Amino acid sequence: MVKITFIQSDGSRHEVEAEPGNTVMQTALDRNVDGITAECNGSAACATCHAYFEEERLDALDPMQEHENDMLDFAASERKSGSRLSCQVKVTEALDGIVVTLPDMQ
Amino acid sequence: MATPVPVMDDISIGTLTADPYPSFQRIRKTASAVWVSDARINLVTRFDDIMTVERDHGRFASTNPGSLMNQVMGHSLMRKDDEAHQVERKAIEPSFRPGVVKNHWSPIFNDISRRLIDAFSDDGETDLFMSFAAPMASLGLAEILGLKNVAWQDLARWSQALMDGVGNYGADPEIIARATEASDGIDAAIDETLDHYRNNPDPSVLSSMLHAEHTHTLDQIRANVKVIIGGGLNEPRDSILTTVYGLLLNPDQRARVEADRSLYRVAFEEAVRWVSPIGMYPRRVTCDTVLGDTALKEGDQIGICVGAANRDESHFSDPDSFNIFRDRGQHLGFGAGPHFCAGTWVARQMVGEIAVPMLFERLNNLRLDEDKPAKVSGWVFRGPISLPVRWDN
Repeated sequence: MVKITFIQSDGSRHEVEAEPGNTVMQTALDRNVDGITAECNGSAACATCHAYFEEERLDALDPMQEHENDMLDFAASERKSGSRLSCQVKVTEALDGIVVTLPDMQ
Repeated sequence: MATPVPVMDDISIGTLTADPYPSFQRIRKTASAVWVSDARINLVTRFDDIMTVERDHGRFASTNPGSLMNQVMGHSLMRKDDEAHQVERKAIEPSFRPGVVKNHWSPIFNDISRRLIDAFSDDGETDLFMSFAAPMASLGLAEILGLKNVAWQDLARWSQALMDGVGNYGADPEIIARATEASDGIDAAIDETLDHYRNNPDPSVLSSMLHAEHTHTLDQIRANVKVIIGGGLNEPRDSILTTVYGLLLNPDQRARVEADRSLYRVAFEEAVRWVSPIGMYPRRVTCDTVLGDTALKEGDQIGICVGAANRDESHFSDPDSFNIFRDRGQHLGFGAGPHFCAGTWVARQMVGEIAVPMLFERLNNLRLDEDKPAKVSGWVFRGPISLPVRWDN
């Protein structure tokens, strides 16, 4: 099991166990973590699973495709260097202990 | 404890077409799924149940061997799931990305909108359905698809003929003939353009299909172009009219929007929640299962009523009112899950950023025509079918 810590925009923290192979978005929904809407349920079409990943660990994530890159520019909350659509990031052992911060608006 | 699907014999198609919302509310209060005899389908009307359905394509499939849609349009991505769906969806994505919409389609939509308004702006009155919303949606769709030399009236007629064909449960031969004529016309229009896009790639859908990593076959091109024509014309048309109608009925909100242009996009989202252009779409139950409080059987057809879910009191306060300042929350106007509307960002731009703001900016003191009331109709697809307005010259 891989541990992921989600931090809400109000600062509250949820440490959850994630199953490798699932996406980070699916993990948040399965563990009832608020802050991710995921309207399109992982099709990278809605930009409502936007999350900020730790910048120094971005290289460990699945690389970003052009479609996700375009979509992130139109997310409801500000795009930052750690921004990803969490539906496009698969859980792997390399993510163990990672901190994922959620925006105040999706 | 799950109970069998309750039956309602007293809700007619006519009642639903005139105003589906009281019936939707009754169904929502009764059970997770209700068999509506006249519509011959189990209607699902609660927000949370619809989210469950859309997140579980194993139990609730989009595929349907007996689908009229497949017979009329060919086997499009709308009736596929999982990888077969993803491959085709991914191929057309480049045409619908928000950045492409903003940079490439936006100036084209602007131009269409300006020319349409130029044609009637001196008249002082018009019905926005025929003079503006229908041609705006049709001309915009022809551009996005990449169809050349197609009159907007032909595209609109084809779209309607295909949709009538998909709903033709009585196998009316005249409807079949019109759908076939539309299908042949679209095939010919596609054939005319494919060679051009093979050598001249651009952001159009036809070009994307030809140049994707997994290129579409000719059958896939034909089926998916038809599903986009059948399902991509009335929604922007109806949401333009519903947004204008909602604002004209609510002068306080209209004043706020006119003072702050960025609120038009919020008005568009609220319009799509308030009167969802696609009110219902089908899914097929793949195994005996339970949805919410209701037991369903393998093979059951369920009608996903997003138009009802968008007025679910447990998710929206005072859901029947048009209120652009309500608490922002997810609505289901674009659906949910893997089949989430591919044209979402196109619609946001065309309707919320261009067409509706331009109408209010160009037509001074725009108002509903007191002598000719607006008409709103439909439940599977719903929107104004006539929106007479006046303004000061």
